[in-house]
Amino acid sequence: MKNFYRKVAFGLGPDEKVPSDPLEWAKNQLNDIPEFSWKGKILPEKELRNYYRDYVYGDRKVLRKKFKNDKDGYKREKNKLRHATGQKFWWNLELCIRYSEALKSTSPVLAKLWYFWGNHFAISEKDFLAQYTTGAYQREIIRANMNQNFEKMAQEATIGWSMIHHLDNEQNIGPKSQEAQWAREKGKTKGVNENHARELLELHTVSPDCGYTQEDVIQMAYIMSGWRPKWGKRRLETGDVHFNPDAHEPGTKIVLGKKYKRGRKSLSVAITDLVNHPSCRKFIAMKLCRYLITDNPTQEMMEPIIKAWEKSDGFLPEVHKAAIEVAFNYSDKYNKFQNPENWLLQMSKMADVDLIPSPSFMDLYQLGNKPIKDQRALERLMDELGQHPYLAKQPNGWSDISEDWMSPELLIRRLVYAREAYYKKSGKSQTTEFYEEMIEKNYDNPSEILQIINQHKELVHKHVILFNLPETLKS
Amino acid sequence: MKISRRNFLKGSATTLFLAGFNFPVLANTDKKKNLVVIMLRGGMDGLCAVPIIGDKNFEKRRKDLILDETIKLNSDFALHPKLKNFHNLWQNNLGAIVHATNIPYTKRSHFDGQNLMETGGHIPYSIKSGWLGRGMKLAELKGDGLALALPMPLLLRGIPSNDNFYPSKKRLPRTELLQLLKSVYADKSEHDLANMMEIIANRSMMSSGGTSMSRKNSSLAYKAGLELKKINGPRVAVFEVDGFDTHAAQGGVNGSHSDSLIEMDSIFKSLEKGLGPEIENTLVLTLTEFGRTIEQNGGRGTEHGYGSAIFMAGGLLKKSQVYTDWPGLKRKELFEGRDLNSTIDARSVYASAMSTVFDTDFKRVQKEVFWGDKLQDLSDKLFKI
Repeated sequence: MKNFYRKVAFGLGPDEKVPSDPLEWAKNQLNDIPEFSWKGKILPEKELRNYYRDYVYGDRKVLRKKFKNDKDGYKREKNKLRHATGQKFWWNLELCIRYSEALKSTSPVLAKLWYFWGNHFAISEKDFLAQYTTGAYQREIIRANMNQNFEKMAQEATIGWSMIHHLDNEQNIGPKSQEAQWAREKGKTKGVNENHARELLELHTVSPDCGYTQEDVIQMAYIMSGWRPKWGKRRLETGDVHFNPDAHEPGTKIVLGKKYKRGRKSLSVAITDLVNHPSCRKFIAMKLCRYLITDNPTQEMMEPIIKAWEKSDGFLPEVHKAAIEVAFNYSDKYNKFQNPENWLLQMSKMADVDLIPSPSFMDLYQLGNKPIKDQRALERLMDELGQHPYLAKQPNGWSDISEDWMSPELLIRRLVYAREAYYKKSGKSQTTEFYEEMIEKNYDNPSEILQIINQHKELVHKHVILFNLPETLKS
Repeated sequence: MKISRRNFLKGSATTLFLAGFNFPVLANTDKKKNLVVIMLRGGMDGLCAVPIIGDKNFEKRRKDLILDETIKLNSDFALHPKLKNFHNLWQNNLGAIVHATNIPYTKRSHFDGQNLMETGGHIPYSIKSGWLGRGMKLAELKGDGLALALPMPLLLRGIPSNDNFYPSKKRLPRTELLQLLKSVYADKSEHDLANMMEIIANRSMMSSGGTSMSRKNSSLAYKAGLELKKINGPRVAVFEVDGFDTHAAQGGVNGSHSDSLIEMDSIFKSLEKGLGPEIENTLVLTLTEFGRTIEQNGGRGTEHGYGSAIFMAGGLLKKSQVYTDWPGLKRKELFEGRDLNSTIDARSVYASAMSTVFDTDFKRVQKEVFWGDKLQDLSDKLFKI
């Protein structure tokens, strides 16, 4: 049962009491969205997007022209521009905010589910989204909606600037729209870009299980045509998302058999229909089970989550509670291989590893300067472990299937960074007693584990073994 | 001119992948043959690397990017002057080029294009394995493949039990600790974990000081050459070179496109050095998502295009040649009026190469790796068979 604390959160830290009712402990964390635990600077997405704008504008419109015959000058000035816009710093600050929720907040269960949703509505590696805005998107659109209905999160994520830009909807122009007409007059062709529409169906809502066709994807793309950042000479693609009727495909569209009129409102109506489709709740229930419990969720696991969704109209706190309860009920029967990020956070929490730089240290950063090495420690560490949360390779996010994380190289990283982490612990947690207590608190078979790790004398070796035992790798 | 917003290809992360250990035991008369693929990310400009000689259309549209002192390869084509190592190979009949070629992808997105160059498919993200992985599977080269990267490249997926390696500055824990974990895994019936720990504990590349190895392509290539040379070593290696997406300051001989080409050239050199005489039994190929526009843009760079070129090296080549069905560079001969056309499906080259190196019938490769798509068997034109 104790793996439940690791399954739905990151285990119990040294200062945490063992909850008398673990299930209630977990469920109570899911009703509200508390303030961030991070006490340092937190920038709004809009401000970070402005830095993004300054970078792309400066590079594309200024430096490329100014240094067209001077490769070295171009590289030098571009580097300055990177620092002037905080390109190497912001995502490190975002990781501090992100990991404080797992390690320092009173709602680690909410944090674990936050990571789930950030990955569900993933912004994968594209342009410089990760460096500037992905963290903020996950704060303002994903986490902020975790006490709302799924529909609200889906609506906001879909027309969020990050998602629109990430999935090319700015290039999605109705072939019969005014804008396509203008393009034709100039001898150019403009048309539909299905990317965002396909992902909305496939990854974000109903999934291929619902049986949509390629024609549904195209029709959905027509509905989405015209939603894009407001273009400006200086803003380029970083303007706020709006609906531009000139790029919108006229006429009625049909998606999954339902008709949608032309115009601004049709997207929101279509999303409402998608999130209320039975395939959507089934898909989300399956993914929650896959993330928390097993690679191959059963119908019995998914059923209570689907029921909770139906009863509450997709109200996320209720959906989450149902998922957590299922995880609790199956905690003795199933262990899930943890992805590198969750593994690192478990180790940091249980063994009291000083993972996150302090707010005052991070706030020393001054725009224009290169960040200090230790201010960039988290970005580098996540890269080394093989799972930087803002750099998923594809729009389907990081995999939550065990096999994708089971490779010798990734296991080597866990061996190596478990050792590194040990030396980031405070002296008072580098004692045998500390480990005995921690193991007692977090594992169901403490004496067996102690017997294994005690085969090595030095505490650092015990630490490395403990965090690479099957009991830890799988929770 | 509209500049692409897809310039996400940044930094200069370089990686190498090795695969195909434990191949079926070879009869004494058979030689172990190796296949190396270098992925050129960002869109390699075939016209910058291998320019056409004396084409007025070309010279007019690229007047600031024309290279001085190119190396003449034949009456029609020249070589970028910085590709000195490749030129050496060429002079020894160990270098060849396929020109005006590309994968069948015309939409100019790095994102989608790189996915397709690795899967060999037609619809981005619809295929979850790579053409090289599927080719190795067909040739039954399963087992302990080794990819030198984190995580595993898509190009190599499709064969089970791949291993990957990427140099880390940190040291592995002591052997006793690894052995203890291995036996715990075995006791608890965690067979996958036990197998992985076995690979880790036995990893030769780690024990020879590999952990503190440089991540530079040239040193990885040397290492790869040494590994490929071993009779029971890997048969496949994959590298990546970034930075071909030169929307600005592409420049001439010393421009930014040259920097990436020079890096590719250093791989040829280090591989040759590491392989020694085994270069004779090796085939090296490049792979990119698309070429670049003929016309230079306002920033003296180029935009995403279509047709590009493939560099080939090694003793399995038939001869030094620029193999092409040249489409011409007049406006009407260009793809969508702006790009060098592709007259050879690049996958024909890769299918023929796999057929040659893996000793597998071309038709089987065509059918099982590329879904029976219409591809040409170029084996007898390009390779020693």
